[in-house]
Amino acid sequence: MNIAAADPRVIIAVVVGGVLVALMVPPLWMLLQDSVTTTDAFGDVTGLTLQHFHKLVIEKRALTSLVNSLVFAAGSTVLSLLTGGALAWLVERTNAPLKVLAYLVAIISMGTPYVLHVIAWLFLLGKIGPLNDLWRQVTGETGVLFNVNSMAGMILIEGFLWSPLVFLLLGSTFRAANADMEEAARMSGASVFDTLRRISLPLAMPSLLALALFVFIRAIGGFEVPALVGMPGRIYVLTTDVYESTVTVPPDLGHAAAFSVVMVVIVAVLLAFYGRLSKNAERYHSITGKGYRPRPFDLGRGRWIAGALIVLNFVVVLLLPLLTLAWMSLLPFLRSISIAGFASLTLKNYRAVLTAPGYIGLAVNSLIVAAGAATAIMAITSLAGWIAGRNGPGGRILDQLATLSLVFPGICLGVAVMEVWLRIPLPVYGTLWIIGIAYVIRYMPFGMRYIYSGVLQLHRELEEAAGVAGAGTMTTLRRVVAPLLTPALVAGWLFIFLIANKELAIAVLLASPRSQVIAVAIFDQWVNGQGGELAAFGLIWTVLMTIIATVFFVFTRRGGVDVHGN
Amino acid sequence: MLIVRGLTKIYGDHADTRAGGVRDFSFELPPGTFFTLLGPSGCGKTTTLRCIAGLERPDAGQIRIGDATLYDSTVGTAVPLNRRGIGMVFQSYAIWPHMTVFENIAFPLRVAKDRRYNREEIRALVDQSLGTVGLSGFGDRPATRLSGGQQQRVALARAIVHKPRLLLLDEPLSNLDAALREEMRIELRRLQQQIGLTTVYVTHDQAEALAMSDLIAVMDHGRVAQMDEPRAIYFRPANEFVARFIGAANLLHGTADAPTGPGDLGSVVLDDGDRIRCVFPAGGAARSAVTVSLRPESLVIGPGDCQTDAASNTLAGIVVGCSFLGGTARYDVRVKQRILRVTAPSDVTFPDGTPVHLTFALDSAVVVG
Repeated sequence: MNIAAADPRVIIAVVVGGVLVALMVPPLWMLLQDSVTTTDAFGDVTGLTLQHFHKLVIEKRALTSLVNSLVFAAGSTVLSLLTGGALAWLVERTNAPLKVLAYLVAIISMGTPYVLHVIAWLFLLGKIGPLNDLWRQVTGETGVLFNVNSMAGMILIEGFLWSPLVFLLLGSTFRAANADMEEAARMSGASVFDTLRRISLPLAMPSLLALALFVFIRAIGGFEVPALVGMPGRIYVLTTDVYESTVTVPPDLGHAAAFSVVMVVIVAVLLAFYGRLSKNAERYHSITGKGYRPRPFDLGRGRWIAGALIVLNFVVVLLLPLLTLAWMSLLPFLRSISIAGFASLTLKNYRAVLTAPGYIGLAVNSLIVAAGAATAIMAITSLAGWIAGRNGPGGRILDQLATLSLVFPGICLGVAVMEVWLRIPLPVYGTLWIIGIAYVIRYMPFGMRYIYSGVLQLHRELEEAAGVAGAGTMTTLRRVVAPLLTPALVAGWLFIFLIANKELAIAVLLASPRSQVIAVAIFDQWVNGQGGELAAFGLIWTVLMTIIATVFFVFTRRGGVDVHGN
Repeated sequence: MLIVRGLTKIYGDHADTRAGGVRDFSFELPPGTFFTLLGPSGCGKTTTLRCIAGLERPDAGQIRIGDATLYDSTVGTAVPLNRRGIGMVFQSYAIWPHMTVFENIAFPLRVAKDRRYNREEIRALVDQSLGTVGLSGFGDRPATRLSGGQQQRVALARAIVHKPRLLLLDEPLSNLDAALREEMRIELRRLQQQIGLTTVYVTHDQAEALAMSDLIAVMDHGRVAQMDEPRAIYFRPANEFVARFIGAANLLHGTADAPTGPGDLGSVVLDDGDRIRCVFPAGGAARSAVTVSLRPESLVIGPGDCQTDAASNTLAGIVVGCSFLGGTARYDVRVKQRILRVTAPSDVTFPDGTPVHLTFALDSAVVVG
């Protein structure tokens, strides 16, 4: 009997590999094809061309967008790393008070759609927002102190969006760091500042760089801030250019595809660097002590300054945006914050949201499609991740296939998936299915990551013992691997569920009036000026998602699952 | 001279473990003493060390080196750890991977607050320190390219380079393999005597403690079970815990026959009827219940019946277990209802079931409580 043919893992690998190829390859192929071909009105290819790329090169606007993208991504990366990083260090490595506030910010941010945050900030810093309002009242001017629809505004808001995630990821880096290293420096006579400068920072540097690159990649592909903050100020970046050339009439898909290819190449190169950097980061983790107990720095009197910083972060990143949304939701129409405004407070918006069938349907749609995508991803990656983690047949290929979609910024993936399903004669385009499929492609790498590291944590002998005891591959999978992987499965599922409900970029091009999801609906309503209802609805939604985010957080903390998903 | 008085530090906030820490611990070390804190995990030895280092803040007590008070809960003195002038070697060595060996060792000099070292001084002191630990010429190596034993030496060099008043060692040998551990044990002791530095050493390994120390404190649940020099700890354990923890003693229960003065020999009737004579280090009253500690290697095993003899104790028994360990053999001998462990030379063998007698010197049997 041929042993290889009898190995059920080969069959699993082939089936899972087939599914992954069917999901991952067509969008990439379609982008490439569209970027180098001309098409007729029906979308059929009529010839090869380089005109789309040529246009990119000669158009000044393309270069401007590229530069804007880089400035925007770099600025927000630096801002989020400074704020989130400082916070993470204070919370994880010192005896600063009020740490719980920092976690509160991170958890609630995890549940809030990005677009909702952005809207709150737009109002806060906008023309009629409290900042400019106060400035006008104090100085008697009629203009604005700060124009939010500027590059500075974009960087500020994007930076605040990423700061909670940076806090969580760097927090786990600081937590895992060997405290002996810092204590040895203190025992050698170094002050807290010297220790931080000469030991803690250099040791964290590889992780910091890797994380910076990661945030940079995500910010390059960011859509919410460029669309809502940048576009009204005529500041375009690559993602908003792709979006515009897709939604103009008639759509210039070749242009969008060429733009997307450029972005995919940029991201792919950055990802390759990222891979190297994170390997480098692990090098410093090899030497660790035993009997670890977290031993925070004593800041002395400085702890109250640290506490004040934590409170400031809480107020700026969480409380202000939430209060702003609450204000917006309680007013019949958008107006600046004033005493007079309090007189017209009303629950009308909440009544509208809770009684209109549209909103309930919208919520149900979003929950179904996010849950469906998360379930499909975990089903696929639990098999693919297990084979890859155990170096099974085709493991490396499966791993690369499953993480291929990392190169797509969300908006580009939206374009590509739309293109694919416009050409397939199945009634998928214009339904929730296409959004679900795009989610599955987009978030597959996250599922893979959770399962893969989960498998690596399982000792191989647990499976070998089952085999020696007489269990076949399938029985071992069902009775030993699956139960032990449950924490990773649940954590991955929750993470994907949360982030799918958070991001706007993929769904914005795929949603139709019949198939709306939350982020897109909020985006549309803001563009149409229905601020009150969207704020009311957004707040209710945030409460719901915060509950799920809390479950996720508690679960990953207790189960010891690596939170490094996003 | 290190003086610790009434040191107390209690951890009560861990739901998953019993309250740990150390309670009311006092000792004084003359200069140059090699002092070992010995005990099972959770006994408070590491807590004591970390309190001296300044890595933990004691709940109460006083810590002084010579005239300098490092900590005093009554007047609220607490010198920050980086101002204490103490050298420390960590269990994980804590060699900074982003620096060379030279930079690792030079670090205490570079961050020193009390004086500035110029480049030549730093080079000279680091080289001297490297020489002391036998790593001359290793300065330019990246710290990541060192074996476990070399890392240990670098950690030690770093701890002594700034001529500290006190050296703290936190289980420094526990991450080395067995052969290297024995070598480093001798080496460490030699270095300590050469430098003449007062040293506090934490370990759970009794052989390490006995081999290296001038003074040992055996700790149990945050309290000192016995503090004495190694031979006394071994041959005159003060209580059951010490007897059991050091050298796996046989413990026999019985009743004292007559009142006995401290340090005198007395007679004990064991629970199963045998009578032996043994040392009462603290004396004892008639009819008091006592526990007698008997080291496996002080028992001499011989064939046949008892030959009673006033100069030694004899018990009759039957071999019920025998394992050959190379240089020695270990026997389990049943005496009445009790199994005694015996360590004997391995050249003669007594198979299972052999009737034997066990002889032991009167002063090798010690009343421990």
